[in-house]
Amino acid sequence: MKKALEKFKSLKLVRIMGFNRVVLIGVIILLCLLFQVLSAVLNHGNVFLTYARFSSAMNYGYFIGFLALGVTFVIATGGIDFSIGPVMFCAALVSGYCFNNYSFPMWVALTMCPLIGALFGSVGGFFVAYLHLPSFITSLALMQIAKGVGSIFTKTQNVSWPGSADPGGWYRSLSNLTVGSVNIPTGLIILIVLAIILSIVLNKTRAGRYMICLGANREAVRLSGVDTRRWEMLAYVICGALAGFAAIFYVGCYTTVQPVKGDTFNNEAIAACVMGGTSMAGGLASILGTVIGAFIIAIMQEGILSMGFNIAFQYSLTALILLGAVIADVTSRRRKN
Amino acid sequence: MGEVILTMKGIDKTFPGVHALDHVDFEVRKGEVHALMGENGAGKSTLMKVLTGIYTKDSGTITYEGREVEFHNPREAQAAGIVIVHQELNMMGHLTVAQNIFIGREPRRGLFIKDAEMNAEARKLFAQLNIDIDPRETMSNLTVAKQQMCEIAKAISHEAKVIIFDEPTAALTDTEIEQLFVIIRDLRAKGYGIVYISHRMDEIKKITDRVSVMRDGQYIGTLITEECTKEDIINMMVGRVIYEEPKTHSMVEEGAPVVLKVEHLNAGRMVQDVSFELRKGEILGFAGLVGAGRTETARALFGADPKQGGDIYIDGKKVDIRSPKDAVEAGISYLSEDRKRFGIVLKKNIIENSTLATLQEYVKGPFIDKPKEAKATQKYVDLLKTKTPGIDQLVMNLSGGNQQKVVIAKWLVNDSRIMIFDEPTRGIDVGAKQEIYELMNQLAKSGKAIIMISSEMTEILRMSDRIVVMCEGRKTGELDIAEATQEKIMTLATRDIDMQNSKAMEEGA
Repeated sequence: MKKALEKFKSLKLVRIMGFNRVVLIGVIILLCLLFQVLSAVLNHGNVFLTYARFSSAMNYGYFIGFLALGVTFVIATGGIDFSIGPVMFCAALVSGYCFNNYSFPMWVALTMCPLIGALFGSVGGFFVAYLHLPSFITSLALMQIAKGVGSIFTKTQNVSWPGSADPGGWYRSLSNLTVGSVNIPTGLIILIVLAIILSIVLNKTRAGRYMICLGANREAVRLSGVDTRRWEMLAYVICGALAGFAAIFYVGCYTTVQPVKGDTFNNEAIAACVMGGTSMAGGLASILGTVIGAFIIAIMQEGILSMGFNIAFQYSLTALILLGAVIADVTSRRRKN
Repeated sequence: MGEVILTMKGIDKTFPGVHALDHVDFEVRKGEVHALMGENGAGKSTLMKVLTGIYTKDSGTITYEGREVEFHNPREAQAAGIVIVHQELNMMGHLTVAQNIFIGREPRRGLFIKDAEMNAEARKLFAQLNIDIDPRETMSNLTVAKQQMCEIAKAISHEAKVIIFDEPTAALTDTEIEQLFVIIRDLRAKGYGIVYISHRMDEIKKITDRVSVMRDGQYIGTLITEECTKEDIINMMVGRVIYEEPKTHSMVEEGAPVVLKVEHLNAGRMVQDVSFELRKGEILGFAGLVGAGRTETARALFGADPKQGGDIYIDGKKVDIRSPKDAVEAGISYLSEDRKRFGIVLKKNIIENSTLATLQEYVKGPFIDKPKEAKATQKYVDLLKTKTPGIDQLVMNLSGGNQQKVVIAKWLVNDSRIMIFDEPTRGIDVGAKQEIYELMNQLAKSGKAIIMISSEMTEILRMSDRIVVMCEGRKTGELDIAEATQEKIMTLATRDIDMQNSKAMEEGA
């Protein structure tokens, strides 16, 4: 048994992906089977493994994936960001409102999303990196500001982005493109491309190296003559920009955004990130893990609906998963020490 | 020496890739001070961690008070009466002395803590140890030595029978060490079994009854301290004899240019009006007691802490250093006394640590040039003889001496011209110490200017070309190595500031 495990660990693909990531993919498969059985048992013979569920889970996975990718950078520096969900909503509200009411062209509205996110990110990053405020408090404050700005701007009204057939509705094909009778998961392609780029940033550039190292030991990096403030702030800007970018895929999935909401996605994104092997203590990050983690979260959401439970279960369950992931993170660190 | 209280037999422990303990034997008797010696990485700490339940052993037996035991965590060991007094003190600075000692087991009435009783208990403990500390004092107001005494009091309050001292004197002054020894002798007389881990040969001779030596995870042997010489012990530790001789004259070339000039440096209470010069190829020793402001001076100079005033000149040109980044760009490097906190990134590998200060030179376009980075790292691993299975090894898996070499490598890669070594051999074994001394001499010879802060008198006298002595945040004197003696340095290091001032006034008048 032990020998077989060692052999499995030494396979090339497993080595490249990392053992933990392979385990996570196994978890996805197990979850699918589990939900298949439980849906049938608990929900009058309901079937979980359907195309509709699959594509719904994918759609959910896209924006959670972008949120989680962003927050991976912040967590790698040893910080945390609880503002990403509301920042995503704020970006969707403000730019959607501009499209609807001030007839901004769609491409401008779409460009605004990551920029609004980056603006929030730079404010938060400035407070954390230059004024040394705890990221926890800063991001909680920023979360409320994002909610406030979004609802003030839209006069506390829902904002509906155009449907696929409406003028400007082409943005939805960024999530899913239908050519004839073929569906192309463009969202997945964009997510994978971006994940590859971010993985390169994290592992092969100075910025990534500094961010991870300062997450592991800020003082040592500073005393090596590195301006840690700059790189730490950059992590928050990346995080914010990606939260804004996620907005495009949120509306691509749901079209309608409510004001003063969005905080439930914080936990989901952070859980995806920690599950994927990014350490809450900082200094350790995995982009691939984060992406897989995001899809686990998405499958859980669909699974709960498929079993006939209220969606509110998802909130508690995500919180439990987050706790579980953090426990695993802490214990593995303790073992290493 | 009384009966055997603790026996460890055939203790074996393997970590991935390292056979940390290879069937090690060790015993402690009641009423003895038993030194545990060995180079860093020899397995002393691992052995003690196995004993106190931090690590689980792979095989072997531990017999304590006649019964075979196995502790699963430090708490169980503590409850049984085996306590470690750590090198790094585990005290909460904002609590009082008594609160620290009784943390987690305060005497209570219902929900409330009985402060008076707690303080009285603490006072009793201190009386037992003949120490004069007020239990109501806030911990952070005490000196390191006094804090350590509180740790000892805490250990005794746990009804310890075996007390392990892990490098207890690393941060103490000579007088404080004497006080500590009085306490240890007293504990010995009372029948405690004491394990004493230290690298300082003089102390071993002075305080211990027996010496057990480990090397590369193996138990080498046990000697009766009285019957052996320093050289015997060192030979067992490293298999070679090392001589420590003081430098007799300055090695700096006649007329070597002044590289660094510091004038009227002020930074907080600990750095007051410090001025000095450093010449090319010189090793300038900074001597003084712990808390004299030497580290603070170095940190202010390096831009790590803000300074209130003072001018810094490099090659005669005034430079403005506001952050470590400015300092590194000006060619200054700083090797901190606290490696783990300020020197290295433990969770990262040797490559990442080696190029941390110079990463901008290891990029190709937007990307890090990994082959170039690896080549530079390998070069310094070879040059410094860093012991590691590979350059992709995480630094936390290296021993203290090798970690220090990684820090040195980082600054050599950077090619700094002015290097500040703050306690360069703290917590480092004899063999690696020797290598670091040789390295510093080579660096000086090659034209680097070195500031060496050290609390070890032998180190100061052996390495320095010139010595600056500090006391309570002020520079109290400067000696050429030819005229320096331990006594002269000590006098300057303990010089009372008021006395000095009045003397200056007399001279003025």
